[in-house]
Amino acid sequence: MTDISAQTKKFQKELNSGTSSLVLLSVLNQNKEPMYGYQIAKMLEDSAPDIPMMKQGTLYPVLRSLEENELLESTVEPSVSGPPRRYYKITQSGRDALKEWIEIWKQTKKFVDANLKG
Amino acid sequence: MFNTIEEYLNALKIELKDADPALVQDAISDAREHLTTALDAAREKNPELGTADALQLIVAEYGTPEETASAYKEVERRTSPVLKQEVKPRSAVGGFFGVYTDPRAWGALLYMFIAFITGVFYFTWAVTGLSISISFLIFIFGFPLALLFLLSVRGLALLEGRLVEALLGVRMPRRPLFSHQGMKWFDRLKTLLTDKATWLMLVYMVVQFVLGTVYFVLIVTVLSVSISLIAVPVLQEFFNQSGIMLSENVHYSPMLPTWSYPLWVLGGILLWTIFMNIVRGVGQLHGRLAKWMLVTE
Repeated sequence: MTDISAQTKKFQKELNSGTSSLVLLSVLNQNKEPMYGYQIAKMLEDSAPDIPMMKQGTLYPVLRSLEENELLESTVEPSVSGPPRRYYKITQSGRDALKEWIEIWKQTKKFVDANLKG
Repeated sequence: MFNTIEEYLNALKIELKDADPALVQDAISDAREHLTTALDAAREKNPELGTADALQLIVAEYGTPEETASAYKEVERRTSPVLKQEVKPRSAVGGFFGVYTDPRAWGALLYMFIAFITGVFYFTWAVTGLSISISFLIFIFGFPLALLFLLSVRGLALLEGRLVEALLGVRMPRRPLFSHQGMKWFDRLKTLLTDKATWLMLVYMVVQFVLGTVYFVLIVTVLSVSISLIAVPVLQEFFNQSGIMLSENVHYSPMLPTWSYPLWVLGGILLWTIFMNIVRGVGQLHGRLAKWMLVTE
């Protein structure tokens, strides 16, 4: 017997690994000010409170890899309380990538929807 | 469940025990930043809420240590250091000359060159900072000064790590190691002073001066000997200068026979190729040294 819920979890994780990069880039593109991780997580939560898509902890490694690929840049700034915060900002190549990614997303959505309807 | 943030971080450390220490440091630093901020926000909203209860809600959103660890491992698998790609094993001769196509060898050469400059700076900074800090400790303002100096050492260690990763291809921390926040600055100074990592970083800064100088002298010596060997035919044929000059006196500087030109040129090329192979090895060794001294477990 196969474990359906484990398979579902894996499916969700695989989907998220692509979409989270897209969502993060888009959020940072819409915000003119640099944002730190908790702020982004809160914003995602507020934008769709009833859809628990991904754990907040998984956002950080994605932010990091986006920065590694120069789609984002970051600065560390001290905070009043607690550890310094890392503020992320989108770069020009990030904006260029986002434009292409949005197109891909639209096509993917159309393709998947068309096939799901049967 | 978790009663404090530290408990969560420890659990995360256990989940990441097989991962690269540099990755662990990054993950811990991200989690600490998020959990602290989230906890502060939760307390502001509802001061009555206990830490353990608040953390339970926060962790439910942030992810269990297991989930967080797997997210980091997953991304790490996709992003490896720039110069990591291994060159396929070839024949002995191909491997020997293949050093010229190996980005790690060129990276190491550049690093060894830069190490001379950074080494001098680190050494100056470490010695000046240490002596100023220690001598001012008899005054009250010496303590914050010492704290600032030790924090700057940590910052420089992170910077050096980025340099090592970019040029030597050894995975190093990408996030600063900020711990013990919420402490009074005097306690913070005490923690920094009793932390083995701080002292290892300071020692590294001094060692880098010695190594950087040795690297620089080696590069300049071998490079100039190689070039002058390769240039023997040009020097003798076009400039009528002897390839070897034993003394300022021209009589002691015999002209080398024409038939030996290819040998000198070949010798020069071989010497530099051997050196490049050594440089690649030294680069890897230095990377290991940096990892051992600059990355806390």
